[in-house]
Amino acid sequence: MIGDVFSWLFDAQHWQAHDFELGIGDQIYNHVLYCSYALIIALAIALPVGLAVGHTGKATWLISAANAVRALPTVGVLVLLVVIIAPHFYGRTNTGYLLPTEIVLVLLAIPPILSNTFAGVQNVDPAARDAAYGMGMTPSQVLRRVELPIALPLIFSGFRSATLQVIATATIASYVTLEGLGRYIYDGLAQQDYPQMISGGLLVALLALTADLVLSLVQRLVVSPGITGKSRRPGTTTNVPDPVSADELAAGAARS
Amino acid sequence: MKNRYLTIGATLAAVTLALTGCGGKTAGPTAGGDKGGSIASGMIMGGPPEFKTRTDGIPGLKRVYNVEFGQYKVTDVGGPVTVNALSRGQVDAADLFTTDPSISANDFVVLEDDQHMFAAQNIVPIIAKDKNTPAVTEILNGIQSKLTTDGIMEMLDHAYNDKTDAADLAKTWLSDNGLDDTGSDAKGVSLTVGSANFPENEILAEIYAQALSNHGATITKKLNIGSREKYLPALKSGSLSLFPEYNGTLLTFLDPNADATSTDEVDAALKNALPSNLESLDSAEAQDSDAIVVTKETADKYGLTTIGDLAKPAS
Repeated sequence: MIGDVFSWLFDAQHWQAHDFELGIGDQIYNHVLYCSYALIIALAIALPVGLAVGHTGKATWLISAANAVRALPTVGVLVLLVVIIAPHFYGRTNTGYLLPTEIVLVLLAIPPILSNTFAGVQNVDPAARDAAYGMGMTPSQVLRRVELPIALPLIFSGFRSATLQVIATATIASYVTLEGLGRYIYDGLAQQDYPQMISGGLLVALLALTADLVLSLVQRLVVSPGITGKSRRPGTTTNVPDPVSADELAAGAARS
Repeated sequence: MKNRYLTIGATLAAVTLALTGCGGKTAGPTAGGDKGGSIASGMIMGGPPEFKTRTDGIPGLKRVYNVEFGQYKVTDVGGPVTVNALSRGQVDAADLFTTDPSISANDFVVLEDDQHMFAAQNIVPIIAKDKNTPAVTEILNGIQSKLTTDGIMEMLDHAYNDKTDAADLAKTWLSDNGLDDTGSDAKGVSLTVGSANFPENEILAEIYAQALSNHGATITKKLNIGSREKYLPALKSGSLSLFPEYNGTLLTFLDPNADATSTDEVDAALKNALPSNLESLDSAEAQDSDAIVVTKETADKYGLTTIGDLAKPAS
């Protein structure tokens, strides 16, 4: 069986478009596309809301409400939305199916980003926050220059778990006529072509791991070394003498 | 600080570029080659995933009718997604089932299969040999002789439009056909009846179950199981003992290379292909076969009546 899976994966024919099938590269592209739309929209909604709720401490019910959304059965919501939305689109368009899929994926991605952003901002050391206010920073400066950078590791972990979930769940796009890596899983099951089905699953897993690796590298670059506790090698660019976050931020604030 | 943002920007740009470079193609026309500009070559066909590879699917259309569609879109197995995609124009032709009430409800046109590409799909009960008795065979074959395609379409119409329960429909059908007599000739038999997860199959399983329990058999129902991949292993292992099946699809499932098409050929081939612990009883006249369906507008536009018409030049 494992041999069959590998020969399916490494069959040159499966990497090219043929007989009504797209190549594996194209399907990976489509899959990434569906996921990117969903993640960008979810980030655009959840990040500002999470920062605002965490900063002001108001409307915390939003976080619980978003977490309750996690209990929704994804396939059920998808089918329901397709039945409602798809009949409104005429002609050769995928919109009637893409829209429900993206809504479902966004609903899936928002809770982890939102609750981690909120938790990250809330858990900022009050001393650091007080120090920032004490130096004369405005509330928005405190949010942007103190709370956001300190919350960044948690925000990233929320975004990374959202990414993993969305990549794995985007296979359901194929359930409603769209493409993506789910095509191999559904088609493989229906055609009793199990090597194809397992290959589809493997590709999804590989894609998820790759995405997580890329994001962890981005996180390494973005998160201040003062927070992660990693000090810089001597002789490189700016010299950060003390890894204590409040000090570093205060220095940054003084520079501007 | 500035440097870091530059690095992040560069990384993101590189990732984006790499992603765009690795793909870039969406689901466009993929099948290359010259199809002579036939009607079908400008069309998108919609249907279940297995239709792409099934012998009486896309390969059969090419072999029997020389029909080659421009694109194929996987919708679902004759369900609401397929119906919606066809009526809203996401696909131009679709694979639906002949008993589907949505065909008449949407004014769809069934293209005639005059070369008999689709195998016969007569309803046939599959039963575990060690659970079968002459009385059970007699009861089930009595039902089989009364099952007609029209009768099933009528029941499905009630199931879809009036949301009538499968058990009630089965009960009404049995009394309408004079099969609701009771007795004790099947006493001591215990059977587990299963069904796939679509209304027609569930109604059939109910009919079998009710008739047998009227005659004293002990019946356990496991309805709405799912697709054949899930229930056939249960039949083989004996955890299910009776199932309403369709002779043609079951045969191609058991033997992917089977080429029997008429009811008699399929029945004979099915008896050979079944696992040794299972047997098939009489096949009913009622059929639930695949059909290539187009909208009324498409049929009028190109003057389509048979599947073969799709191979004609478009202009």
